[in-house]
Amino acid sequence: MNRHGWREVQRQVRESGAPGGVAILMVAVATAWGGLLLTVHRWVEHDLLGRRQNSSVVAVLRAPDQADSLASALAARPGTLRWTLARPATVRQELAEWFPELATVLLALDEPSFPALLKIEADPAAAGELVAWLAARREVAVVQSSAQWQARVEQALGRVVAVGFVLASVLLAGCFLVVLLVVRLLVLDHADEIAIMRLIGARERDIRLPYVTLGLVLGCTGGLLGVLALAILEMSLRSVLPAIAPEAWVLAAMPLVGAAAGAGGAALGLVAIPREP
Amino acid sequence: MEAVVKSYHGRPALRGITTHIERSEFVFLTGPSGAGKSTFLRLLYRAELPDAGRIVVDGFDLAEMPRRQIPDFRRRLGVIFQDFKLLRRRTVGENISFVLSLLDLPEREQQRRAYLALKQMGLQNRLGALPDELSGGEQQRVAIARALVLQPDLILADEPSGNLDTERGHELMELLKSINYQGTTVLVATHDRGLIEAHPARTLVLDRGALVRDAWGLTP
Repeated sequence: MNRHGWREVQRQVRESGAPGGVAILMVAVATAWGGLLLTVHRWVEHDLLGRRQNSSVVAVLRAPDQADSLASALAARPGTLRWTLARPATVRQELAEWFPELATVLLALDEPSFPALLKIEADPAAAGELVAWLAARREVAVVQSSAQWQARVEQALGRVVAVGFVLASVLLAGCFLVVLLVVRLLVLDHADEIAIMRLIGARERDIRLPYVTLGLVLGCTGGLLGVLALAILEMSLRSVLPAIAPEAWVLAAMPLVGAAAGAGGAALGLVAIPREP
Repeated sequence: MEAVVKSYHGRPALRGITTHIERSEFVFLTGPSGAGKSTFLRLLYRAELPDAGRIVVDGFDLAEMPRRQIPDFRRRLGVIFQDFKLLRRRTVGENISFVLSLLDLPEREQQRRAYLALKQMGLQNRLGALPDELSGGEQQRVAIARALVLQPDLILADEPSGNLDTERGHELMELLKSINYQGTTVLVATHDRGLIEAHPARTLVLDRGALVRDAWGLTP
């Protein structure tokens, strides 16, 4: 686009006024919200749930003396990475440390009152089979895997993220509509000028490109404001939740998504331009 | 132009006009108000299509021409509109350089040619003014500068002296004639008989949409 096109874009940005500001604000909120969702989702999946890490499986034994036979059977299984045996005394000590207010009572109880636990670190792909295998063993009273609660948390998180993205999409669609209306109003306002431009030989692209660029500029500005908002949020949370940090691709995508929504709205708004006879 | 008919809402504006204008000719188009002069010109720069008949301008058959060719065709014309048709939101300089930018000329060349065109019209000091800040006569001269700056093959002028004083009107006609001497075809629509008498040339006379006379000057 040449100098005339860019000057026209500047004029249009000024003329878009408050509705243009609303479009920018909507994109900023939509992209910041979307970016926040993606960042939190990643944080929960990778850091909080440790999805990429090994699964933990805990088996409660019926009797402490069965631990050795179970351990030797376990050693022969594939997918079991590491295991440790917590004997009743260790379990009692750990419980007393976890619940210090009950420590006196717990430490006063007999050792046989506590079960022996087998803590197993397993390959996430093999954790399901391992749990089933342990549940079928007569030495095991109860078996629990981190994968089970991870799955429940992920399911809940998935729903929250889906609802969040619907909200972000609604905001982006709103921005699309606002830009569409802004461009449509500008086109109607500039109808005479567009007709003159045609009469003196302007091509369709000379006429339309500044309007599409206006949509792009509004959307991109909103996206950049969204990046700024997310960066401010991250900095303010850094001392509390240092692991939460938006990924580079999320930050890069935010202005692009905003620009696409703005340019799309502008392109549709240009339908209002009358055609040549 | 061959048997061209144009009507608006059933009211005929042009009735079967047939005429031929040679390359490099200077022609006046005259007639009373409502005779169809402006319609005649609008058909020539393809702002409208005829209801019937055929119009060929500079080798382009206007009714058959695809839409995408229209801008190329119009850039070969210099049209001076009765109501100036300046771009109100752009400065005088931008009004001129905009048409030059359509040829993808370098920025410096655009500015140089825009300055020279405005200087020719005595408006070199109004480059940064908006059209609404100019008088009617000045706006007319900007419109003329814009039409001439592309050195078109054909100039269509609709009442070009309408907003100029007599002296400026005659200066403009001299300018158009000098451009015509260099090979550019010029068609001037005017109802100013004095202008035609002062600059005699082939004259087409329209009356109620019909071509009633095609002769040199106005003298019978």
